[in-house]
Amino acid sequence: MNNKPLLQLQTYLQSRLKPEHYQSLVGVIGDMPRLLAINLACGFAVTFVLRGGGTLFQNVLFSMFIGFSAYSLIKLFKRLFWGAGTPNTIAFYLMCVMVAPLALIVGMFIAALAFNYPLPDISKFKWSYMGSFVTLTCIVSLIAAWSFWSRAKISELQASAETEKAKNAAIEKQAMQAQLQMLQAQIEPHMLFNTLANLQGLIAIDPPRAQHMLAQLIVYLRNTLSSSRAEQTTLKQEFTLMQAYLELLAIRMGKRLQYTLDLPDDLQQTPIAPMLLQPLVENAIKHGLEPKMEGGSIHVVAEKQGSQLHLKVIDTGLGLPFNYDDSKNVSSAANNIGNANIRERLLALYGPQASLSLQANQPEGAIAHLNIPIKE
Amino acid sequence: MTAKRALIAEDEPILSLTLQKMLEKLWPELQLCAVVENGVHAVQEALDKQPDILFLDIKMPGKTGLEVAQELAEEWPDDKAFPLIVYVTAYDEYAIEAFEHSASDYVLKPVTEERLTKTVQRLQARLADGVQRPNELDRVLEQLRHLVPGQALPGGNSSNQPAPERLRIIRAAVGNQIRMINVDDVLYFEATDKYINVVTREHSSLIRSSLRELLPQLDSSIFWQIHRSTVVNTLHIQVANKDDTGKITLKLKGSEDKLQVSRVYAHLFRQM
Repeated sequence: MNNKPLLQLQTYLQSRLKPEHYQSLVGVIGDMPRLLAINLACGFAVTFVLRGGGTLFQNVLFSMFIGFSAYSLIKLFKRLFWGAGTPNTIAFYLMCVMVAPLALIVGMFIAALAFNYPLPDISKFKWSYMGSFVTLTCIVSLIAAWSFWSRAKISELQASAETEKAKNAAIEKQAMQAQLQMLQAQIEPHMLFNTLANLQGLIAIDPPRAQHMLAQLIVYLRNTLSSSRAEQTTLKQEFTLMQAYLELLAIRMGKRLQYTLDLPDDLQQTPIAPMLLQPLVENAIKHGLEPKMEGGSIHVVAEKQGSQLHLKVIDTGLGLPFNYDDSKNVSSAANNIGNANIRERLLALYGPQASLSLQANQPEGAIAHLNIPIKE
Repeated sequence: MTAKRALIAEDEPILSLTLQKMLEKLWPELQLCAVVENGVHAVQEALDKQPDILFLDIKMPGKTGLEVAQELAEEWPDDKAFPLIVYVTAYDEYAIEAFEHSASDYVLKPVTEERLTKTVQRLQARLADGVQRPNELDRVLEQLRHLVPGQALPGGNSSNQPAPERLRIIRAAVGNQIRMINVDDVLYFEATDKYINVVTREHSSLIRSSLRELLPQLDSSIFWQIHRSTVVNTLHIQVANKDDTGKITLKLKGSEDKLQVSRVYAHLFRQM
């Protein structure tokens, strides 16, 4: 079978019609086989069961017109009463019953006009004769309406299930990527190997300090792994992690690094997403203090300001690059590379109430401010 | 054979001490004439003490090990033998292939005794073989061309990081004004301690930056580094003059300034 003209028509309609109109057109076309079958069945029923007179051809023809009228009228009234919304079930079926006799008359008139049959004289109608037709039309239109409605509903459900599935898959993929990235970012091979190199040296020259360093490494690894698996962690755990991380660096950098951590008691259990604070501390070390010959200090402070959690990472390192622009999300400056990432995550996790900003510290270094709404 | 002298440059004190101890054990006759913890002191001490061997950590504050090697190659007196260099690097600080490719000596942190023993043997062999020493500077220059990113091929982007945004306009603070300088008008950049002097035909202005920060933002097919502290806009070069000793000096169009090209970058001005 050659589908090409059909496809061309489809593309043409898709390009010319608004999406919602195209969708309803597709729905109507989809309803047609069922509608034609029902009409055909009615024509047979009138000819052979009700024995209403006339040839099979005539009855099928009239059935077609009545059926199409009923279909169109039900669509029209549904649109008039409920617009694009979902109608109340009972009201909808009631409407179908009311519309059926109207459809019967409209359909018969159109058929008679179109094919030049003598117009049925309404005054001569006997209820005993017409009654069965009206009843038949009512019953058929009810069944048809039910069948069309459930068809629409099923396809609607299928479509939404598919969208949902695609959405879930996308979210899952994103989450997995984020977790991988987090793991990679958290335990840099660089950090690990440098720490091991120091440990190796310390074992030979100062075993007690080697023990101490190993203990810090264990705390660091354990907390990193557990927090990278969790969606939420507490400030206490994040600060424990930072303590271990900074202690490891302080052993490595010797007198070039001093640090303090300040977490008030009432904020210990405050929940926070992992990997928000750590990258800021890592940046301060990597871009501020490690490259600075005389070294310096870093202070990590948590405080509550109204309904906001305010985290500050204050360093006395090299400071922000000369062309650093805090309003720009992406900058060429190395200092800023991780920040766009953190801002994206903040927006996704906490919405626009959360923020990250960097400013110069006086007389030297930089301060990173992280603001997060506290959920009570 | 007189006792050989070595310098160690390593910013992490424990690692420095560990390397010292290992060397004491593996090469007891070796004298440690200087132990420093940043790149700036490494250059000063190396020029001052003129050791035979340098152990240079790659990632150090002040200057990287490669920058130290480069600066020494520029500053080393002509009549003295250039030291043998061993780079010390952590797992992923620097592309290991680059070291292999340039045939440089390097050891990985954590330093193992086996590896250091091999390195020591190689150093001892090369120091005993006096013939090679006079060419050591050329060898190091050749290695640096492979090791320092962006230097081997002007116009080529040797790092696989995404290209940073190009700088078009430089904003330099002059008193209460901000001077807007079109990058195309810049004759050259000259780095000082914490600043870069941006020189145009009309004036020179200071910005607070380093060449390391600035270079990736410039078009490397036009802006060439010609000295560790100088980057020139090649469109403004009138002529490159070579004197009897092989030193290259650049004369710029419409400017009295003359720029020295260091040994490290001399190859950029060979004829095509």
